[in-house]
Amino acid sequence: MPRHTWLLEPPGHVPYAVANEAMHDLAERRLAGTTPDSMILLEHAPVFTAGRRARPEHLVWSEEQASAFGAEVHRIDRGGSFTFHGPGQLVGYPILHLGPRPDAAVYLRRLEEAIIRAGVELGVELHRRDDVQTGVFAGDDKVCAIGVRLMRTRVTLHGFAINCDTDLSWFRGIVACGLPDNGVTSLSSLLGRDVTVEEVRPIVRRTLARVFDLDYEEAPADELEPFGSPLVA
Amino acid sequence: MTSIQMPQLGETIVEGTILKWLKAEGETIERDEPLFEISTDKVDTEVPSPVAGTVTKILVGEGETVAVGTELAEISSGEDAEAGAAPTGTAASSASGSASDDAGDERPDGGASDVSAPPVPTAPPAPAQPAAPAALQDRGPRSQILSPLVRRLAEEHELDLSAIAGTGTGGRITKSDVMQAVASGGGGTAAEPVGASKAAAPAVTPPSVGVAATADETVEPMSHIRKAIATHMLASVNETARAWTMVEVNVEHLVRLRERAKDAFLAAHGVKLTYLPFVVRATVDALGAYPQVNSRIEGDDVVTPRAVHMGIAVSYDAGLIVPVIHDADVMNSVGIARAITDLASRARAHQLKPDEVQGATFTITNPGPYGSLVSVPIINQPNVGIISLDGIQRRPVVVEDDAIAVRSMVYVSMSWDHRLIDGEIATRFLARVKQSLETWDFAEDLGV
Repeated sequence: MPRHTWLLEPPGHVPYAVANEAMHDLAERRLAGTTPDSMILLEHAPVFTAGRRARPEHLVWSEEQASAFGAEVHRIDRGGSFTFHGPGQLVGYPILHLGPRPDAAVYLRRLEEAIIRAGVELGVELHRRDDVQTGVFAGDDKVCAIGVRLMRTRVTLHGFAINCDTDLSWFRGIVACGLPDNGVTSLSSLLGRDVTVEEVRPIVRRTLARVFDLDYEEAPADELEPFGSPLVA
Repeated sequence: MTSIQMPQLGETIVEGTILKWLKAEGETIERDEPLFEISTDKVDTEVPSPVAGTVTKILVGEGETVAVGTELAEISSGEDAEAGAAPTGTAASSASGSASDDAGDERPDGGASDVSAPPVPTAPPAPAQPAAPAALQDRGPRSQILSPLVRRLAEEHELDLSAIAGTGTGGRITKSDVMQAVASGGGGTAAEPVGASKAAAPAVTPPSVGVAATADETVEPMSHIRKAIATHMLASVNETARAWTMVEVNVEHLVRLRERAKDAFLAAHGVKLTYLPFVVRATVDALGAYPQVNSRIEGDDVVTPRAVHMGIAVSYDAGLIVPVIHDADVMNSVGIARAITDLASRARAHQLKPDEVQGATFTITNPGPYGSLVSVPIINQPNVGIISLDGIQRRPVVVEDDAIAVRSMVYVSMSWDHRLIDGEIATRFLARVKQSLETWDFAEDLGV
């Protein structure tokens, strides 16, 4: 039976802290059983986030440098190392209840599968790498970062970030995911044309729905309020 | 008193690192209140207490990595003590109870039971394994999946992990392997992988004496794998109520599609296009429609996984092995074709990892290429059924308007366990496989 799932697509470039708090709030309520599963799809304002495995030397720029370029630095509760979020990148936060016998590994593989399928629809061959826990790659380069945490072992937090037409020079600020030898790429670089978040969004929305068997319903309007009003450029 | 164990967060996750205790010894805790945080190589999570009570003992310190199921702490609950409730067992039994009750979809309104499910269940019982895999030693490259702790230790001591023999599950490198390597000056310990010896065939009996070779006959001891296959097959015949149903499938359009697409497919994906991926895909779809065919018996319960892990029987020099396409239900035909080629070639090279021969929820065997017309396979326990794809033949059939024409036809049959399903389900299931094979446009799925 499909999972009844709220779809939340806050507009604009959402500040990280705001989305992080809203995501945890949704997960708490999902755990308590007062809301259904949710799928949050958004773009962030520039930010570097440090997972639990982030090592200080993997932040190449100092925090001052980063903020001088207009990016925040956040230390957060997901697994994994440093990554960057910002304009041109589609970020997905699935808030899914994994049931009484959660299988984190299967969950991660399905997230990857959804991205790989989106790649198929866009005409680019993406794959997993055996030697790296998570993420989706084209060749040796990462195109989609994945970092996940479970709330009380049952509800998923954080998610994936796929580079559409992200300005990849941001990634010079970090050793992405703690892998010094790996490059980072974007769908635009791979396809040799401008692939926007708005082009990728409906595809990823659909592949996620197929992989996780989601039946979307637009979330009530007030659920979008915590994400704030869009920043007008 | 309740024993808290390292939870299993997935079948392939075998250990976890304690990041942080959120309660100290002597502190009280509510049911479902976070007790500690763990990091596995896949994901981090905080783990809530299955009971209310007082943390009486913490057995594993922060930063330590231990196997799934290791006892981590004890919680005494006042009520439990007075009522004299049994330790340990309570959590596990109610966990499995709720798992089977609550296998259905989660709903915020009706899914409250999962919230009360004790979060620290004992490891779900591993499905009984095909015997052949059990005998396979992992001769392939060791898994590169390392726990955060091992990685950190190796970095601190500048060790070359590839030179260390892992003694953990599946040949994984554990903390003690690293410490041993450090003690021995950073060299590879020559320890025999425990995982491999654990996985070794059951009783090793010496070749029977008393049968002497003569000029007319040779005498050789049965290989371990042969014995394991023998035991597994005989056990299946003894335990299952096997019945068998066959359908005939017109695969004319699949034959044409394959002829048309095989070169491009090979060029695009590097694997040969066979008919097996189509049959796997159609079978996965039918398992979705008839989940009881994807289930297994455990004691008096019927356990029905939501995912499909498709076992593919592969013959190789040592006998027969059933590598598993995990999560076949989220793959398209291209992914399935790749997985089959990869698993079969590594099976033949003796390079499968233990994970890759475990957990099949259904099995397909494919004797067709060897020239069979009809086969009656033995069920790969604990599966409910096994499908046999036999040889495709050009033969005259009655087509539209009662005309007789030559078409590519194949018999697809299934041995199924009458303990769990009946003829109606088995037949509807096979009819769905047939209909999918005859009507689906696989060209789209193949991207050709």
